[in-house]
Amino acid sequence: MGSRPPDEETLVARAKRGETTAYEELVRMHQGIAFRVALVAAGDRGDAEEAAQDAFVKAYRALGRFREGSPFRPWLLRIVANEARNRRRSAGRRSGLALRAAAVVSGDAAPSPETTALTLERREALLGGLAALDERDREVLVHRFLLELGEEETAAALGIRRGTVKSRTSRALDRLRAVVGEEVA
Amino acid sequence: MKGLERELAALSDAVEWPDVPDLAPVVAGRLGDAPRRPGLARRPLAIAVAVVLAAVLAVLAVPPARTAILDWLGIGGARIVRVDELPPLPLHQDLEVLGRPATLADARAQAGFRFADPPRDEPRPDEVRLAPGLRVSYLWRDGADARLIVTQFPGRVGDPALLKKLAGDATRIERFAIDGDTAVWLEGGPHVVLFVAPDGLIRDDHGWLAGNTLLVDRDGTTVRVEGALDRADAVDLVRAMPASPSSGG
Repeated sequence: MGSRPPDEETLVARAKRGETTAYEELVRMHQGIAFRVALVAAGDRGDAEEAAQDAFVKAYRALGRFREGSPFRPWLLRIVANEARNRRRSAGRRSGLALRAAAVVSGDAAPSPETTALTLERREALLGGLAALDERDREVLVHRFLLELGEEETAAALGIRRGTVKSRTSRALDRLRAVVGEEVA
Repeated sequence: MKGLERELAALSDAVEWPDVPDLAPVVAGRLGDAPRRPGLARRPLAIAVAVVLAAVLAVLAVPPARTAILDWLGIGGARIVRVDELPPLPLHQDLEVLGRPATLADARAQAGFRFADPPRDEPRPDEVRLAPGLRVSYLWRDGADARLIVTQFPGRVGDPALLKKLAGDATRIERFAIDGDTAVWLEGGPHVVLFVAPDGLIRDDHGWLAGNTLLVDRDGTTVRVEGALDRADAVDLVRAMPASPSSGG
């Protein structure tokens, strides 16, 4: 909750009153994570984009049911993930996104020293290990670590309880460790 | 953070994520007709479902008129209606209709009707959901989806929790008894579950295509078991559900 931008609550309140510019601001604020959550759930870029778009519209329509003062992002991500999963099911895809290691580490910001230290082989081994896990294990690790979501947000996106996120993460890490080992820091 | 967790966190930057599209302009363009107050959203789909249900109810109210309805069965608080054509509901589960996540203790304190505890000798449900006065549900999940749902709701006819199932022609419907309690088993073809909201409205997200279903009338509470399981397993599950000693009512 502490990581919430200070003006998010105001934007939500203004959007609830029908100020579409305030809602547009909220979309810009959260579209990055919304798109990635949709991508992981839908397994297809086009579907993810449409799902995120529809979810934002749905969320706007449902703003009247949103409890003021509670964090917006978990609530939104729950709607996004639902939309994306529905699309995946409609398309008959069995699983979500297959992640690939980038040959060159890139991004908006300079990569962290930890990222730079990961060799391409190790990245591929980790992604291969993730791919080998069962879907429940994989999705919880992807949400917690690759999407960098908190437990509450992960719980919302996966539609499970926070306690389940915790226990599933721990079990999934053990299983992944058994496949890829652990590099000593 | 341990080594592997640190590596996974570092992996976030090392994955080939596609560029994030700018969704704001398109979304903003679609907000114009979006209602700002809850309860006013009525997409054509919702209207279609409401119309179908209204037609079903209207026909039921006049017994001789059976043009749209081939057959119907009542059990506890549920009505099973066989119709010529199912409404075009999307294939999805929206668990929100089952209420908010709650602890079993909360559910016992706030349900407002008697319901049975989760089945003995089964894994604990992954989630309990509560809609006070309307329904209590136990969910066992498979990833984000529910693979098995046991919902209990008051069985009085006319109760706001009244659940309706619209069954297509291909659905097999059998009425039988479990230890003297009336039960109905629905299997095979698709059937649609409609929940009526407390305000009497049916919203577009309040239906999904259901799996095999068992409905049992137990002492005025209807138990609905739904999922990919056969009739014998569903019956065993209901038999293993002890009545809650502290359920309010």
